[in-house]
Amino acid sequence: MTSLSRFARDAQRELILVLAILMICALFASQSEFFLTERNLTTVLRRSVDLAIIGAGMTLVIMSGGIDVSVGGILAVSAIFIGRAFEADLPAPIVVIIGVSVGTLLGLMNGAICAKAKVPPIIATLGSMYVFIAVLYLVIGGTWISGLPDTLSFLTRGDVAGIPVGVFIIAAVYGFCWILLHRQPWGRHLCAIGNDEGAARLVGIPVDRVKMQAYALLGLLAGLAAVLYVARLRNVEVNIGTNVALEAIAATILGGANIRGGVGSLIGTLLGVVFIKLMQNGLVLIGVSSLWEGVVIGGLLVVVLSIDALQSRYRYGRSL
Amino acid sequence: MKGIVKRFGGVVALDRVDFGVRPGEVMALVGDNGAGKSTLIKVLAGAYEPDGGEILLGGRPVTFKTPQDAQKHGIATIFQELALAAKMPIADNIFLGQELTRKLFGIPFLDRRTMRNRTRQLLSDLDVHVPDMNAWVENLSGGQRQGIAIARALNVDANLIVMDEPTAALAVAEVDKVLQFIDSVRSQGKGVVVISHNIQDVFEVSDRITVLRQGRQIGVRETGATTPEEIIGLITGASAVKVRTRRPNRVPSEAN
Repeated sequence: MTSLSRFARDAQRELILVLAILMICALFASQSEFFLTERNLTTVLRRSVDLAIIGAGMTLVIMSGGIDVSVGGILAVSAIFIGRAFEADLPAPIVVIIGVSVGTLLGLMNGAICAKAKVPPIIATLGSMYVFIAVLYLVIGGTWISGLPDTLSFLTRGDVAGIPVGVFIIAAVYGFCWILLHRQPWGRHLCAIGNDEGAARLVGIPVDRVKMQAYALLGLLAGLAAVLYVARLRNVEVNIGTNVALEAIAATILGGANIRGGVGSLIGTLLGVVFIKLMQNGLVLIGVSSLWEGVVIGGLLVVVLSIDALQSRYRYGRSL
Repeated sequence: MKGIVKRFGGVVALDRVDFGVRPGEVMALVGDNGAGKSTLIKVLAGAYEPDGGEILLGGRPVTFKTPQDAQKHGIATIFQELALAAKMPIADNIFLGQELTRKLFGIPFLDRRTMRNRTRQLLSDLDVHVPDMNAWVENLSGGQRQGIAIARALNVDANLIVMDEPTAALAVAEVDKVLQFIDSVRSQGKGVVVISHNIQDVFEVSDRITVLRQGRQIGVRETGATTPEEIIGLITGASAVKVRTRRPNRVPSEAN
């Protein structure tokens, strides 16, 4: 097999996504002159950073055979701590550390419930999401935490050498996760757990620990996303993080991850994020009600999952 | 292994089982379904902790809390379920849980090249041919998968190799290859434990045979000094054999 055809096989999903992105770009550009302007695309990019870094963590968790539908709640609770820390006039680096630590702890808690108590991940994290949202309401009630200082705004609005800081954040997060996944024993263990948890246990992989670490890492990244969220909007409102879980899971699945675990692609997830964010932006620009966003993203998720399921059934049938 | 006891809830899976292997010996472990064979070797492999009894290695008692403990003591196990990750490449599977690393800035990174070269070496030693080293294990044949599981066991420098039903899923030519492999391990002075349902294979390859029935060890025989009939009698209990010989025409339907 030539290296080119092997590339086409291994990167099939990524290539399809690139084509899909080009297609929606062409579609939206033909309907809106503003869509392909540098200003619009830069805005889309700056607003994609939170989802992109959560997507990286979600990819690892889904590859381990788990899922976390509570990331929006983790983002919200972390954002409350960040807001309160700002209000207490703590210095910016401390605020960042607090936000990221809260996220990590909540993720670790999810991981412990899934790995140690063996609660199915979707139920465990659904439960914790309701707890997190309740915490959000109990702490800030119906009001906003607003008027926060702009000491962290350079993270979302700043440029380095003409390139938005967000690009560097995304590159750092994806680089780190890629090395963990492909160049560290940990990533091979994670992948093996997603493939066959029993086999992973038999060869002596510390299954529970690796799972908890994956959830904790997702929590950490959700905490980091909360930092960026507060830095960008300088307030914490009641409906923060509502759609993050759906979008992150959709991006991961669009990017080629198997919902049953064992397979996934960080690059695919990143392309999935780009696709979702361009789609949302484009729909608004061509005047489609934002209510249709959910229909499009949720619908895509269902369609892609169905295709994956049919495909694996076909392959399975053929190989037997 | 002396007086090994293992319970699952109220069920006694192993009841004071004694079991031993000498260096350079192939010990077959036989018994009916549910006799406790797989449970016994999972205790030996460190996958289960026994509720009683002790494991002696070279006369010294050892305890295994994890499969890695057993590997460190030179026991490599090929489980019946092979314990392979289907959607991962061959080398990743062979080194799963024991990846080779090299340090870069003090951080251990996977040493992929060395692992791939070692994998190639192991597979050619075993005469296992795979079309593509990067192929997922799920795309390989039963024999190739078995070969990969064996390669993983060989990769650990083991003194004792335990194989649970190594030939059950294989074609005839592949079975011969596995039996040859067992011979070559024995000639290196290593101990081998083979679990098998196939009495013919057992007699072909083993030096001694241990029989389990309903969680108890009920006999150890020198292979050269026993007969398949005696072993089958021990496995099923003598009365069962009588039933069989009285109604031979019922045997084919029992195969279902």
